[in-house]
Amino acid sequence: MALVGIDVGGTFTDLYYSRDGASADRICKVPSTPQDPSSGLLDSLITAEIPLDDLDLILHGTTIATNALIERQGARCALVTTKGFRDILELGRRDRPSFYGLTGLQDPLVPRDRRYEVDERVNHKGEVLVALDEDEVRLLGEALKEDDVESVVVSLLHSYVNPAHEERIAAILRDMEPNWAIVTSASVIREYYEFERTSTAVVQAYLQPLMTRYADNLLSRLGDWGFSRQTLIMQSNGGLVPVPQLPEKAAHVVRSGPAAGVTAAARIAAEAGFSRAITGDMGGTSFDVAVVIDGEPEITPATNLDFRIPLKQSMINVHTIGAGGGSIAWIDRGGILQVGPRSAKARPGPVCFGHGGTEPTVTDANVVLSRINADDPIGLTNLTRLDVEGAREAMKRLGAQIGLGVEETAEAILAVVNQNMAGRTRLLSIERGYDPRDFALVIFGGAGPLHGAAIIREVGIRTMLVPPSPGVLCAMGCVVADLRHDLSRTVARRTESFTADEVDAILAKQAGEGSDKLREESISIRDIGVRHFAEMAYVGQIHTLRVPIERGWDAARLSRAFEETYRNEYGNTLGEIASTVVSFRTVVEGLREHKKRDMPAPERRPLVEPDIVRPVYFGGWRNSPIFRRFRLEPGMVIEGPAIVEQADTTTVIEPGMTGRIDAYGNILVEIA
Amino acid sequence: MDPITLAVVRGALEQIADEMDLHLIRAAISPIISETNDCAHGIYRADTGETIAQGRFGLPVFLANMQFTVQNLIEHVRGSGGFRPGDVWILNDPYLSGTHLQDVVLVAPHFVDGELFALLASTGHWMDIGGAVPGGWAPSAQEIHTEGIIIPPVKLYDEGKLNTGLVSMFTRNVRLPTQIEGDLFAMANVFSVGRRGLDSLIARHGRDTLSACISEMIERSEKQMRSYIAEIPDGVYHCEDFLDNDGIDDKPIRIALSLTVEGSSMHFDFSGSDPAACGPVNLARTTTQSTCFIALKHIFADVPVNGGAFRPTQFTIPEGCVVSAAYPSPVSGYLEPIGRVFDVVFGALAQAIPQRTPAPAFGTVGVVTVGGRQPDTGSYFVAVFPYPGGYGAHARGDGLVNGTPPVSMANFMSIEMSEHRYPLQFVEYALREDSGGAGRYRGGCGTQYRFMTRSECVVSALGDRVDHVPFGIAGGKEAAPSVVQFGIGGREMTPPMRSKVEKQRMHAGDWLAAASPGGGGFGDPLERDLEGVERDLNLGYISRRTAEEVYGVVVSEQRRKSGALRYSVDSGASARKRARMRGDQGKTAATG
Repeated sequence: MALVGIDVGGTFTDLYYSRDGASADRICKVPSTPQDPSSGLLDSLITAEIPLDDLDLILHGTTIATNALIERQGARCALVTTKGFRDILELGRRDRPSFYGLTGLQDPLVPRDRRYEVDERVNHKGEVLVALDEDEVRLLGEALKEDDVESVVVSLLHSYVNPAHEERIAAILRDMEPNWAIVTSASVIREYYEFERTSTAVVQAYLQPLMTRYADNLLSRLGDWGFSRQTLIMQSNGGLVPVPQLPEKAAHVVRSGPAAGVTAAARIAAEAGFSRAITGDMGGTSFDVAVVIDGEPEITPATNLDFRIPLKQSMINVHTIGAGGGSIAWIDRGGILQVGPRSAKARPGPVCFGHGGTEPTVTDANVVLSRINADDPIGLTNLTRLDVEGAREAMKRLGAQIGLGVEETAEAILAVVNQNMAGRTRLLSIERGYDPRDFALVIFGGAGPLHGAAIIREVGIRTMLVPPSPGVLCAMGCVVADLRHDLSRTVARRTESFTADEVDAILAKQAGEGSDKLREESISIRDIGVRHFAEMAYVGQIHTLRVPIERGWDAARLSRAFEETYRNEYGNTLGEIASTVVSFRTVVEGLREHKKRDMPAPERRPLVEPDIVRPVYFGGWRNSPIFRRFRLEPGMVIEGPAIVEQADTTTVIEPGMTGRIDAYGNILVEIA
Repeated sequence: MDPITLAVVRGALEQIADEMDLHLIRAAISPIISETNDCAHGIYRADTGETIAQGRFGLPVFLANMQFTVQNLIEHVRGSGGFRPGDVWILNDPYLSGTHLQDVVLVAPHFVDGELFALLASTGHWMDIGGAVPGGWAPSAQEIHTEGIIIPPVKLYDEGKLNTGLVSMFTRNVRLPTQIEGDLFAMANVFSVGRRGLDSLIARHGRDTLSACISEMIERSEKQMRSYIAEIPDGVYHCEDFLDNDGIDDKPIRIALSLTVEGSSMHFDFSGSDPAACGPVNLARTTTQSTCFIALKHIFADVPVNGGAFRPTQFTIPEGCVVSAAYPSPVSGYLEPIGRVFDVVFGALAQAIPQRTPAPAFGTVGVVTVGGRQPDTGSYFVAVFPYPGGYGAHARGDGLVNGTPPVSMANFMSIEMSEHRYPLQFVEYALREDSGGAGRYRGGCGTQYRFMTRSECVVSALGDRVDHVPFGIAGGKEAAPSVVQFGIGGREMTPPMRSKVEKQRMHAGDWLAAASPGGGGFGDPLERDLEGVERDLNLGYISRRTAEEVYGVVVSEQRRKSGALRYSVDSGASARKRARMRGDQGKTAATG
């Protein structure tokens, strides 16, 4: 069963082709086509000459949802709320964009004149306090017609307990205009917190018409190409859904690309024998880090897409800092060197690209120090050689301000950017109470393997793992992922008030719903995996803990599980204070057939001769061997300093470090 | 100084302070620390007490306050034998450590090879500190003893030995002994994080290099701060503003600032401010100073937070006035005078650098507290709803809505969550139309909310900005005043002190309505672009009357099928009307 993974990013569309679902047979990178992303996707299939006959599945990650949000290119949308609460979407819950600075921009996805109220009220127990006025709803429908909207969100207070009014309004409006995409908040998440739920439903309605068009377009293009079997899309939670479900899952694919990368990195780390990993993806403008424990990427229940646009969906927890190859170095008013967060982006790009950039970037520093091969730049189809002299000139200008020479300035830029990334990586593990030294760093993205060695040195991590195709890891992640549905329901009651039967009934219903969805999808799966969780807190606390639970548990067993989880997380418990169950969650996964590899550690074998030896700067120019990646085989060991070059990235092995090729073709870099 | 080492050491020191913040946020038991980050950590010079680095996760209100606290403690310890290895000092005396009694500060020395190298400090908000009112907020306090227990500077650990008697003193005098004890030791444990970080930096760079880097860093920050101040035109800028009252005496309280900018130095002079208030709206001197820095940091967000940044500033604050609280003045309502100090700094700077200074924000924390018993279980509850409000307009755009106070980052509770927890039913949570100050750029609208009580309870409020509203700058107009209203037994009622009331009794079906000010406006409203006025009208941010009378536009309206009104602004007629209004203004100015 041959598979293709395709990640459509902002700049490049990456493809990963595997005949057996385990190892790469072909990879390729083509420019993305933001006007119509499915066209770039087709280009990649054609460029890579993917044979159609034995192709079973296309698995696909995309930034189309993210871009539509950032550029505000989504649907013209209206919002209907309970009387007195139409401004919830704009008000949020009292905050500001940043710690310091009192100014900023807010741009709600639905402006105030398209937010309507209806007279109705349900309380927190689901009891109707004010009945719905259906005539008022019909009048409202007329106003919406005048507004010429494409989609309508209905979000009423406490609809997660009793969605009847939301559903009735949706039915009336659907009758009046069948072309509206109508989204009720309880159908998107069955949880309390009116602002977060409303915002999530609005994101869904804002994206739904766009995703409907995209899904139709994609399937028809693939059909024209001759492919009519299944196509799956990567969701932000690291699980897949079939393309026909994409419209209803529009809000679930906002972090599709990063999720795919972490999913792949988690799989690779587990296969290579590392149960705990930090994944680091460094591209042109940002460095994305995530934590993986026992092969599972850490999941967050919510994220902020923009100022006051929270999205409450389970997704892989990816943290971003503004550190990438394009990050610009500058001198602050105190005369201290800083790097980023401003980026030279794709245009003009680093000085060495020769597109008119004048401010030195991280990539320029790598070029000046000869870590990047100026004669064979990656990922740039229109450039044959990087402008080393231009980069050196820019370094010279910057260095003059702080009394440093060209190479010293470049090395200082790397020291600062590496420290920024190492700091975020450390905080990520410390915030969770882990010792960073227990982790392996899986580093990828075009710029990642240039910096990984310095990051592990700074953080005190023992091993850096560079996967075989670090530049197309997101595409690979699509291939190794499973199907997944997350279900949740707010109950918000004291733990002691639940009987084992009631808990069992709720969990059974969620598991049933998820399994039904999987069956409808008719994708071939090996098994269905079901996991249950309770979101719990001590009475009075705002933040909850996710506690793994099982069907059949009663109140006492739930309480015990909560205390164990609390103790693991915080080192103590609060004694006799009662706990509450805020919500029950169920994760249903359709586990696909994955070819499992379990290879013994390779025998040591002699290293090939380097392709070339060139001077590379490590505190001074040192003759360093350069290897092309495809010549390295399991069992070989490289002593640093050394550089490994491949089509999609460059790996630096610092002096005092060794790089060992493991059975799976990963490079494991360790401090000797 | 080697610039690479300097950049790396600075980053590493900031990282240590950040890790101290995160360690406490994770380990603390009280939600106020673990969930609203009501804490702060830093590393200080042992000789001068100047800040070396302060964590980025703690609340802005502690920004500079920690340095002044450490400096006051150094003075005290000098007279009592000096710091010794293993010592941990503790204090909460607001006259030395600022803010209010709930903010407890721990300070520990760090020794290297037997020599004092640096001081580490941890501030955390304790959920209770004894005193008359649970939680420590005492609106009718007329002296500090009503507000809680005072901890003078004293050793919690004496050369590594815990003073267990002191711990029992605390636990016996607070309402949440287990929680407080847990937080106390979580704070003391943070010092091991700081020490470990400093030791590994010293092992890597050597003590001498590290000391040299620290001196250099502080000098560089001073240089950086001076470069910002030098951009402010020299001059003396006056600004005064008033608190409505202190909740006891119904008379306004003046806070006056005269800010002198000379070259790269600044002098904040609060002479002319009123004497200390009877009620709890006094501000400790260190917090007044700190608030001035927070205001600067909101304008120059890049200014590094270390001692060098504070060097180019001087303060004159007369003893015993409302912004230099002395024993026994109560301070638990300190967030209200903070708002006013903040606004006079903005008001003074707006005269000097209007292009960089936003107009004042809503300026009142207006805490509404509801207490009573749950109707079904009979257990006691306390619900706290602080005001959200509008932010000021600025030279590049309109103000934001529903902001949190500039010194805080805390949120408003979810409506659905509140109704689960408390016997309350919200009727409204909405943008307050026409409440932002008019201007070329409009202040952000305030927020209005209303809830009904579902059982018997008592409600207290401590707000301000009813009689004295957030002002506009550069020709911008002021924002709408704050409003607190009750509906009791079917009758509407405004409290005698307007926004301050203690323990108003309410029954099922009674209601409270609060409306917060917006932010001040920026620039002449007659210069606001016409599309902006039309958009504000159609979005309902302003009323038709304001559009016509304040913004000087000519409006026509059209009723749609649904009954909704759509407005359009006539550009030609509006331009003529605005010209006429400018002419009238000119005449008024000439005759006035």
